[in-house]
Amino acid sequence: MSDSSTRDTQWPRFELFQQERPGKAHVNVGSVHAPDGEMALLNGRDVFVRRPECHNLWAVSARHILAKTAAELGAEANWQDAPVPAGTAPQLYRIFQKTTQRRSMSYVTHVGDVVARTAVEALKLAQEQFAAANVFVWWVVPAAAILVSNEADVESMFQPARDKTYRQPQEYRTVTQMQEIKRTTP
Amino acid sequence: MMNELQRLLANKLLSLADDELILAHRNSEWTGHAPILEEDIAFANIAQDELGHATLWYRLRTALTGEEPDELVFFRAAADFSNVQLVELPKGDWAFTMIRQYLFDALETVRLPVYMESEYRPLAETAAKIRPEEIYHYRHTAAWVKRLGLGTVESHRRMQTALNELWPYTRQLFAPLPGEAALIEAGYLPDLTRLEMDWWAEVEPFFTAANLIIPAFTETAVISRTDHTSHLADLVADLQAVARLDRQAVW
Repeated sequence: MSDSSTRDTQWPRFELFQQERPGKAHVNVGSVHAPDGEMALLNGRDVFVRRPECHNLWAVSARHILAKTAAELGAEANWQDAPVPAGTAPQLYRIFQKTTQRRSMSYVTHVGDVVARTAVEALKLAQEQFAAANVFVWWVVPAAAILVSNEADVESMFQPARDKTYRQPQEYRTVTQMQEIKRTTP
Repeated sequence: MMNELQRLLANKLLSLADDELILAHRNSEWTGHAPILEEDIAFANIAQDELGHATLWYRLRTALTGEEPDELVFFRAAADFSNVQLVELPKGDWAFTMIRQYLFDALETVRLPVYMESEYRPLAETAAKIRPEEIYHYRHTAAWVKRLGLGTVESHRRMQTALNELWPYTRQLFAPLPGEAALIEAGYLPDLTRLEMDWWAEVEPFFTAANLIIPAFTETAVISRTDHTSHLADLVADLQAVARLDRQAVW
């Protein structure tokens, strides 16, 4: 048994996906630690989308994500051969890709869904269905594992930012005043 | 010149604003010290929201009295603040802060929809603006209270201790200001007895579900909003320290 000084007391990691507007793809904006999905959604809202535009938020525990880089897939020749346990029912998997090396505030983007029995099978299908010139990273996530903010939460969780000037730095004159002092001080 | 109703309304707005301001300040004391990074960000957000709400209420008062919010916040004597004692108590541990925030957020949840029906339109409009944020605050704080109430022996003990300590202070939330009856009569504000019943209907089953026991009231006289603990003077001194260094400074 490990003692308390070495035990990992960190909460599980959840990845967050922001959808700016209806119809736009969900993009991974970062992760939070949380004891459960509800807290992950709440933390994610506060950390990532309190001021930015957001219509819908997804949270998923990192342990449900199959993540593969192009380099890993190239190096693991037999990755597709993972056996499918007998009687495994097909389910919906959401597929995410990172297709650019440009610096960005987000990481992978949701490109579509496939139905498969395992995450590996889903990735195999995704490579055929969502082929792109450069896919640097693939993420495969069972849709059932994703916690989704409710349509009814849009107003209370995301919209308040628009007309709340007190959340913006400009509301606090100190910032502009400091800039003014810097500008006018020889 | 304000008429009597406007004078009473200005007092009421000041009490609403002061509650939010003092709570915001107490909450801001957690910035950099909350239990985890994510919560540090979330709770600083909530503190900023409450400060924003205070500003909105102060401005409604300004429309009646002409007094500038900064003047009221930075250059008023501590004794002239009209907040309830609930919000001025030191932040305590995380359990204490969460129970206090929950009790306050539950009040916001029940009163803002009623304020939205106010005959005094500026008050109704401000309530409508604040309400979505308070729905979120309530969800956030309730999530913490529930998890800590149902958590470990230690978390439960701390939550129950905090509830026992804070509960007597909730009575003041529903004590009318002198002359408030006239505002209720005018349709500007709801009857506080009704609010207290709505609030009770919200918090009682919630605490039960969180395995927390509401302590019995020991009947004492209701505290006036002009009476404060010694903690308020310390808080106000901290809040005003920089502004008072140079009264003429432009911020």
